[in-house]
Amino acid sequence: MSAATTCIAGTAYALPATSRSVRELAAAGQLQSSAELLETFGFGQVHVATAETPFALALQAAEALLTERGVERDRVDLLLWAGTPAVAYAAGGAAADAPSALGTTRRFHYPAMRLQYELGLERADVLALDQLACSTLFGAMRVAKALCESEGLDRVLCVSSEFFPGAAGREAIFNCTTDAACAVLVERGGTAGRMVATGQASKGYYWDCDARRDEIVASYFPTARHVVADTLRRAGWQPGDVTWVIPHNVSLRSWEILLGLTGIPRDRLWSRNIARHGHSLAGDNFINLRDATDAGDIRPGDKLLLFSYGYGAHWHALAVEA
Amino acid sequence: MTSSGTILLTGATGLLGRAVLTRLLAAGCRGQVVALVRDPRRASASFAAIPGSDRVSCVEGDLTRDGLGLSAAQRAMLRGSLRGVVHLAADTTFSRPLPAARAVNTDGTQRVLALAADCATPPRLAYVSTAFVAGRRTGEIAEAADPGGAGWVNHYEQSKWEAEQLVRQQAGAWTVLRCSTVVCDDASGGVTQFNAAHRALRLYRDGLAAMMPGVAGSTVDTVTTDYVASGVAALGLRDDTVGRTLQLCAGQRALPLEAMLDLCWDHWSRDTAWRRRSIPRPALADLTTYALFERTIEDTAEPSLKRVTRALSHFVPQLALPKQFATAMTDALLGAVAPDPLTYWPAMLDHLLRTLWGSVRRAA
Repeated sequence: MSAATTCIAGTAYALPATSRSVRELAAAGQLQSSAELLETFGFGQVHVATAETPFALALQAAEALLTERGVERDRVDLLLWAGTPAVAYAAGGAAADAPSALGTTRRFHYPAMRLQYELGLERADVLALDQLACSTLFGAMRVAKALCESEGLDRVLCVSSEFFPGAAGREAIFNCTTDAACAVLVERGGTAGRMVATGQASKGYYWDCDARRDEIVASYFPTARHVVADTLRRAGWQPGDVTWVIPHNVSLRSWEILLGLTGIPRDRLWSRNIARHGHSLAGDNFINLRDATDAGDIRPGDKLLLFSYGYGAHWHALAVEA
Repeated sequence: MTSSGTILLTGATGLLGRAVLTRLLAAGCRGQVVALVRDPRRASASFAAIPGSDRVSCVEGDLTRDGLGLSAAQRAMLRGSLRGVVHLAADTTFSRPLPAARAVNTDGTQRVLALAADCATPPRLAYVSTAFVAGRRTGEIAEAADPGGAGWVNHYEQSKWEAEQLVRQQAGAWTVLRCSTVVCDDASGGVTQFNAAHRALRLYRDGLAAMMPGVAGSTVDTVTTDYVASGVAALGLRDDTVGRTLQLCAGQRALPLEAMLDLCWDHWSRDTAWRRRSIPRPALADLTTYALFERTIEDTAEPSLKRVTRALSHFVPQLALPKQFATAMTDALLGAVAPDPLTYWPAMLDHLLRTLWGSVRRAA
């Protein structure tokens, strides 16, 4: 059960059928910035759910992954749902609503349970993780790795599915957001996709991300640099050793700056999905990992650095040996 | 030291000028000091407490006006009696456009030189410059004329470099005294005058300094007002400094940039409330990366953060241009070295915190 034997065995994703260009989103009033500025930052189009539900895409991605990998359903030990519900500060509702609110059990219609049932993961326990924003799936990787190594789990299926409401804005801090579901299979004992090291920094001070926006912007780069450097150190890698940086799909400009700070050569950024997919909240890095693999860009033994930032307070990195 | 005759002092009402005046009067200068000031009455009143101030006369003048704005009678008086000039008035605002910076720093120096050239006996001239006339040059900065060509980070540096050239070309007997960044009054760490360095430290403490330009070997060269003023007063008009370029800098004792950032962080993190904010040390960036960051802030940030970045942009690039100022000749002539920054930085940081960068004192 050494740390070196926990692997990302595979990833799969599902996207809505409909796409919108950045210019179409701007014309529809769904962007704060101009389309030109977002194009300058590398965005081209995003995927917008019209008929699909978050659950349907999560099921599609997870089903595809288990089928591709030939995983027997009773061999999955844990289903780990990684989502970003933001209900902590929801109003309690009017007093007149109390009887129906007290009586409802609808709030317990959790997607993780339904997914376990529909996938037929009869032997799997279910856990869920949230509040890490765009880095929630990184949190799931860390938990999955820890449980494989401490409890001897053989196989953990991590799933996220992030949607924006139909008419909602599609821009988050100069990033153009997409709807997507992503599934990642973590296994103990594999050889490819070894999770060599993880790194995380969480800063609760920034919980009020609207009031502290300037400070958050200022803290992003130095903290990101620190987490990347710390993860490389744990992996025993030098910046120049990294074959590919598998990014979260935020502005190309911010990646150029971060790579400049970390000393990782800028041509190591695998960035082609920023233009064609946009930024899905939690799934970017693992969607990109799949596409980079399918494109033949990743070879066995390549050193991959995945980095994501959960807006406000979470910086995550993951070193993976392909 | 010119011990008799009249000395013209420019910039006497500034923090450094007042300190130089005090030391000139105390250091055996038995003649008169004529202070060129904008408001003679106010200046005279402010000098009253300085020992020997009865030998100071204030004349109204302005570096940006023809003939320094002096009357014919005043010029005639100076032509006959002037034995020394200590020229330290300057516009030290880093963000000035080049014409505005030149108007005071270069053209103003030209006017001082014209007055000197007009004297019956050409006076000794001490020109107070900045160590950063070296601009974008890196490595060891010699105690000698800078050939130029490396470029500058801001127009203050350029206009002072141009003024140095004028001094060397036109003055008869000159000494150039280049000062490093003054961060506090003396070893007590007290800060009378806040400058760009203090504002940058405040941004860091407020969690708004995302990154600073810097590379391995970058240092922060700082000095105290006391050291610089003593150096200018002692060396500026001395016979054995004629034709020399002296550097009143920390030199080899300059703080490494990362050590400075750590020192501040350690100091401020003694405050539990500050530590709980988890403010990171600014990341060190090469100039290309920093320029990209500046551009991004211009494209995307709130006006408040844009102001912060613009304020820094006029001087922080120096941090990524590592240089070490030579001081051997200056140290030998002065018989002393600049104080080790570690002896006053902690006290200075205490002072900044205690006064909230001067706002407490102003409010009082």
